[in-house]
Amino acid sequence: MQLEIRNLAKLYDEKRGLAPTSFDVGKGELIAIVGHNGAGKSTLLKMLASWILPDGGSVKFDGIDLKNRTAVVRKVGFIPEVPNLFDFFSVEYNLKLFAALSQTPFQRVEEILNEFNLIPFRKSKVQALSKGLKQRVNIGRALLSNPSVLLLDEPTSGLDFEMTRETYRLMSAMHGDGKTIIFTSHRPEEIKNLATRIMLLHEGKLIFDGSPEEYFRSESHEKLYAW
Amino acid sequence: MRNILLLAFNDLAIALKNKTFILILFIPLFVFVSLNLIDRTDAGANIVKIGLMQGYAYAPEITRSISAAEKIIAVTWIQNENEGMQLLKDRKIDGILTGNEAAPGSLALLVLKKESLHTIAIVQSFSALQKAAEGRGPDWITGIISLHQGDIQRQTLPTWILMLVLLIGFIILPAQVAEEKEKKLLLALLQTPIHEVQWLIAKLILGMVLIISAVLLLHLLGNFGPVHLFDYIAFIIAGSFCFSAYGIFLGFLCRNQASARTLGVIFYLPHLLPSAMSDVSQKLTAVAPLLPSYQLYKPLQAILLEDGSMASMSFDWIYLVLLGSLMFYLSYFLMKRRWLM
Repeated sequence: MQLEIRNLAKLYDEKRGLAPTSFDVGKGELIAIVGHNGAGKSTLLKMLASWILPDGGSVKFDGIDLKNRTAVVRKVGFIPEVPNLFDFFSVEYNLKLFAALSQTPFQRVEEILNEFNLIPFRKSKVQALSKGLKQRVNIGRALLSNPSVLLLDEPTSGLDFEMTRETYRLMSAMHGDGKTIIFTSHRPEEIKNLATRIMLLHEGKLIFDGSPEEYFRSESHEKLYAW
Repeated sequence: MRNILLLAFNDLAIALKNKTFILILFIPLFVFVSLNLIDRTDAGANIVKIGLMQGYAYAPEITRSISAAEKIIAVTWIQNENEGMQLLKDRKIDGILTGNEAAPGSLALLVLKKESLHTIAIVQSFSALQKAAEGRGPDWITGIISLHQGDIQRQTLPTWILMLVLLIGFIILPAQVAEEKEKKLLLALLQTPIHEVQWLIAKLILGMVLIISAVLLLHLLGNFGPVHLFDYIAFIIAGSFCFSAYGIFLGFLCRNQASARTLGVIFYLPHLLPSAMSDVSQKLTAVAPLLPSYQLYKPLQAILLEDGSMASMSFDWIYLVLLGSLMFYLSYFLMKRRWLM
């Protein structure tokens, strides 16, 4: 298993956070975590990305404990809902800074700029870019060190139809390259042809974990709209 | 080391982009220009400008003596008290000689501030004039030797340095740390294999570079050079380390820039005022040593104004380094806990 998650928990209050949760993730899976706001989706992803510390439990990436952050970050790329880039600086500066800190050759920056159609914007300041373009830079940055696992928190939040389709196309392409992807979404219908596995969280508890076919046949899907 | 330098250069680039550097260089420049306006060294600066009331009957020996002393006293005749007040407020005269209602037949000196250098100068000039007119010998005290050397620019230098150190430590650095937290930039950096300590050292470098640049500019503009240069540098480094680490810690206590600025001001003023004003108040002199800012201010004052050396100030230096180290550790602890991130 590429990811082993055991009793991972973070409780803000009775209904917010994540109750002790365990699951495994195999290499090459594309997992959609669905649920309402406050269900614990982002909390789960942020714990996997070391953004927040869990109250308990353990996470192992390829057998390496998450507590060993500097070793794990090379294996994981996290793309938060709101792009977090140095706004004052250009796209190229941002990518080169993170490449240098990750000890990634600058050749990889050129590859990312090409791959994500960012060449025309390489000298543009991030603050001048649209949200869709910022998200593309954000995804590109996460891929600099070629991580085997990608975590995307609400990757299509605030994007128009065209950009949402583009983001899903990118995710599909990355999955095609053999990457393991876990992302969160409010809209299961949108990702039923994308995900290979769906997990449903409700009030911090994992209440469904299965294939998209099983999910859309299950009561859980119906309940999601009733809650 | 490579990561520390990369992060430090990035921080300095941010400081350039968000005009922090301009602010840091502007303050010494502004201080220098303002002090130059105050501290006049030309011949005219030593002349006492006195106002005499046209309708008042001054004793003839007084007017005669004043007229004879035209090199040290310039007389302006004024129509009435209102005109005199206006001239005083406009700083066109230093004082008015008028009748003393409390002691009829004698004179009173009307000035803007009783406790000022100008007032002392006027009283000294008139005392000398009176003694000369009456043919008396010199005063018991014929000169004043100050422990604090130099003109007003040099005498106020420790205060300006303290102000700059605290401004960078308590206002600029906490805001920058909180901004990186607020925009999740710190978390983005922690998605790379950098260590938390490397990020903290880079922030320390930023604070110390800003402080040292500002202090250096202040010295270059004023052409001040301490006698014990090594001791002075040692204190500037210890002070910039201590208050940069303190500022980083304050930044970690805040979720966003706005709260960091508020907290910064809450720390800035109580650290600045008691130390900087400790010379003019016995109560503040008693309170100030309780503040870390005083452990920087006092040695700077001693080195710059009294030619003091570090030998008698090792406690202050160790205090600053230990406090800085404690703040650095607390920042590291909060960073590891992802405090308010």
